[in-house]
Amino acid sequence: MVQVAFFVGAIGATGGALAVIALRNPFYSVLALVVHLVSLAGLFLLLYAQFVAAAQVVVYAGAVMVLYVFVAAYVGAVEEPIWEPIPGQRFLAPLLAVALLVELTIAILGTGLTALDSEGPTVHAGFGTPAEIGNLLLERFLVVFEAASMLLLIAAVGAVVLAGRRTTPPTSSASRPGSAGSGSEVAAGPHAPTATSSLAPADPPSAAEQGG
Amino acid sequence: MTFHAPHIDYAGLSPVIALTAGICAVLVGGVFSARRQRLVVSVLSLTTVAVAAGLCIWQWGEREDLVAGALRLDELGLAGALIAILAAAVVIPLSWREPAAERPGSEPRHGEFQALLLSSVLGMVLLAQAQNLVVLFVSLELLSVPLYVLCGSAVRRTQSLESGLKYLIVGSLGSATLLYGLAFIYGGSGSTDFTTIRDAVGSGLTDDPLVLIGIALAATGLAFKISIAPFHQWTPDVYEGAPTPVTAFMAVATKAAAFCVFVRFFEVALGPAVDNWQPALAVLAAVSIVVGNIGALGQSSLKRLLGYSGVAQAGYMLVGIVCASALGVNALVFYLAAYTLMNLAAFAVIVVRERESGYGDGIKAFEGLGRDRPDLAWPLTIAMLALAGLPATAGFMGKLYLIEAAVDADYTWLGVAIAIGTMISLAYYLRVVAAVWMRPAAEPLAPEGAGMPAMAGGSPEADPLPSLAAATAAPRPGTRCLAILVPAWLMAGATIFFGVLPSPLVDWASHAGGALTPFLA
Repeated sequence: MVQVAFFVGAIGATGGALAVIALRNPFYSVLALVVHLVSLAGLFLLLYAQFVAAAQVVVYAGAVMVLYVFVAAYVGAVEEPIWEPIPGQRFLAPLLAVALLVELTIAILGTGLTALDSEGPTVHAGFGTPAEIGNLLLERFLVVFEAASMLLLIAAVGAVVLAGRRTTPPTSSASRPGSAGSGSEVAAGPHAPTATSSLAPADPPSAAEQGG
Repeated sequence: MTFHAPHIDYAGLSPVIALTAGICAVLVGGVFSARRQRLVVSVLSLTTVAVAAGLCIWQWGEREDLVAGALRLDELGLAGALIAILAAAVVIPLSWREPAAERPGSEPRHGEFQALLLSSVLGMVLLAQAQNLVVLFVSLELLSVPLYVLCGSAVRRTQSLESGLKYLIVGSLGSATLLYGLAFIYGGSGSTDFTTIRDAVGSGLTDDPLVLIGIALAATGLAFKISIAPFHQWTPDVYEGAPTPVTAFMAVATKAAAFCVFVRFFEVALGPAVDNWQPALAVLAAVSIVVGNIGALGQSSLKRLLGYSGVAQAGYMLVGIVCASALGVNALVFYLAAYTLMNLAAFAVIVVRERESGYGDGIKAFEGLGRDRPDLAWPLTIAMLALAGLPATAGFMGKLYLIEAAVDADYTWLGVAIAIGTMISLAYYLRVVAAVWMRPAAEPLAPEGAGMPAMAGGSPEADPLPSLAAATAAPRPGTRCLAILVPAWLMAGATIFFGVLPSPLVDWASHAGGALTPFLA
């Protein structure tokens, strides 16, 4: 049973990953990525990592993929050639990739398969449960946990910096009386909504509303 | 299941805590100060930097594991932290008139700019102290993500966006490779702690294929970050496109932190496998010295030139790791400090000339500098001569120690490679010096006055150009700014000082190297 599940998962993961890069339509690539991620979640389950499997499905196969699907559907099919026109890349890149594959295969065949016929590591009851992971995050990996939260905060700030386009030009247009003065005078007022407005840069009406 | 709170030594963690609190304060300060944003934010971030540096110096000499072995408090980590903090302290004044932060014509963005800078410093401080694979990876990301954003932060310049995107893609590739390698090492050794990995590798795993490929992939990933050839192609492009203060910070601080973790990871965790990684790293160092120095020869942009020179210098510094001896680590830390001083001086001058000459960072912008602006010409000259390794500069002493360590570790040919690389490098460093002192000044180009370039990737409807009046009324980027000249002179002066009297810096570096002595042969 476990073997069947493993091979289903492994074939799904490998096939999905291949399809992501092989398919020409980005939309299908995204769907193939979903197959890949769900298969990976199945493999995690076989490794007693229930929580990671669930998180994988919910976060990646669910939330992140929905974003990808939206982007792919919004932008539409890209007409650009798949191969970058860098001379030699077309031949060199697969060659190096195969070299890396051979290298990895040697490494894995060299050691990993000695455990092939065993039952795998013995894990204690409760391994991989949310409670255990929570304990790990707050005991051994406390610093990492905090650093990751800083990383998320900074990533959000970075997104605002790159996407935020609200300019407050001291315009001379008479239609918005006093906008030049008040725009800079009201110190804290216009700043609070900056984050929300700048996340939706392609929305000129909202920007105009705020300026006035 | 019971929860055992880990013991937290708040004194040892204090630099990290100070930086975290400072980042939040800078972000909030940027939001609530519209008028005097630059002043408020800069006071906050310079205070943060000063406090963090003070706490690092206060903790100097302590050696212990922090928070369940995640971080190692020792002089090596603190040395990396201090270098990163020094770079941030110099770069903050450089960024004051930076268009990406000042944004003439629209509201300034100093709060975000400096908060991103400080969070990168936080990542570096954590990285330099990391002694766990998970901490290593997360802090490397915490270091990199703000830099990706900062490189692309001049959204009205196509090169800046290109630089940000390039750095993001190549950096992510490097991170992914590193992560892959770390996974193999964890799979082979069964642990994420450096010391436990050391024990596992030492007990019969030195030739284990799983560990070997992990070492190879991890070295590749780290080589991307410190731009060792042949993983350096992104360096000149990213250095050229990024806003110059960001380039200055990236060039010195990233290298310092990444080298600290490189040396700790390889000498501590993978120390027993030294015979396997030593020759590979030696080859990488030699390739890097050759490629960097030859690549720099034909550059006319000073930022590209320093990018290639950074590749070569990374090659020199890698020799310190290859030696796998206390002497090598001392030389590496000494060179990192010297490299920081000389590069910051050079970049400060580039920042000024880029804003006042109209030639950007092309070598034409520096012609005749010796007659017109001796206050700028001297720091640049000193920095170039020190980078080239002329005697009586810190660069010379650093190279001397590296060669000494290489010879001591039976890698004499690497010492010769350093000497040959130095000779080649004279050609391009002296070209800059010659342009500064021996050429007449180039005709100043009229600055492209009112026109503000359209935002790359923007649409005309969504991003209306600020009115011409606003663009012209906006203050011209200042040039005779003491806040830039003083750090430039300080850095240049320190370069000379430590070249003539190297003993304080040597003692400092040997403390840092001493932290690894128990793990070195």
